[in-house]
Amino acid sequence: MAIFGLWVINKAGGLVYQRNFADGLAQLTSNEYLVLAGTLHGIHAITSRLSPMGPSSGAQVIEGESFKMTILLTATGTKFVLLTSLAELSAESILQKVHEAYADAVMKNPFHTPEMPIRSEGFDLRISFLIGNGQM
Amino acid sequence: MTIHSLYIYDRHCACVYYQDWHRTRRPKLAVEGGIMPAVSQAVSAHPAEINQPSLSTAGSTRNTLSSGSGAAASDSPSPLLQTPVSAASALMTSGPITSTGLSFDEEAKLVYGVILSLRNMIRKLSGRDEQFVNYRTSAYKLHLFETISGYKFVMLSDPNTDSLRFVLRQIYVGPFLEYVTRNPLVSMDSTERGIDNEYFRSSVDRLVRGMSIFA
Repeated sequence: MAIFGLWVINKAGGLVYQRNFADGLAQLTSNEYLVLAGTLHGIHAITSRLSPMGPSSGAQVIEGESFKMTILLTATGTKFVLLTSLAELSAESILQKVHEAYADAVMKNPFHTPEMPIRSEGFDLRISFLIGNGQM
Repeated sequence: MTIHSLYIYDRHCACVYYQDWHRTRRPKLAVEGGIMPAVSQAVSAHPAEINQPSLSTAGSTRNTLSSGSGAAASDSPSPLLQTPVSAASALMTSGPITSTGLSFDEEAKLVYGVILSLRNMIRKLSGRDEQFVNYRTSAYKLHLFETISGYKFVMLSDPNTDSLRFVLRQIYVGPFLEYVTRNPLVSMDSTERGIDNEYFRSSVDRLVRGMSIFA
């Protein structure tokens, strides 16, 4: 059980926060992460239209062979993405707590510009407290 | 728990086969020229494709091939190449059928775009030659199995099912190898025709309906 990384994607598809925890996935440049976040944003919108049975949300969990991406879409359109090992069962509850930390440490911060990259020590601290080094 | 649909793509990014089971939200028929012939009669713009002259002229030579089955009438094309009108797809659906608002060819391209992008994303993130396996939304789950020859088998199922990769693999090693790869009448790797034929379709149908998760 490991947590590899956390992304926060704003409602326009821009990556506003990205942090790695445990090793196990490739180390990419920040530019590559930006591109992947934009792609994910687009895919997320398409997946909700492909439903064979009534209305559907966008993708919630995307699985590879050794890791998965769990996506939490908030009511305001912000996406929280957690990259974890396949066996990690607490991904959804961690994302809820990340959302809480985001509301407290980012949205209530008067110096934060909405939709812009998150540079907040308070948020960093709370995430560190929540996830640690990613090994659980 | 159930299974909704199956798409097969070749390595040229084209949809070569489509079949569905319980599906209450359906795409519109493909626009003319949007998909290749012999993909699926249920979504094709020309349901009468089987009477194409190119097929019926070849029909007489094919009787020898299928004589063992005793199924071929002398004036109809061989069932090995015939594309049946799929009655099964509409039978099992319950409740009102709504439209996705997309035509089938658009939907097929979106499905392909999604799996290709996710495949590249997973590969990039892992830094290895790792495969994308599946994704889940609130209403369905999409599974992917890719063969070395570049065929992509995509299945949409209920969101609560476990990985269905083994089923897609079974379709590949069973019906696909038997009635498509070993079928001399299917032009593999053509960019003009799909791979639909009666044996393959009924064989896939049997396999899927025989599974415990198909209810």
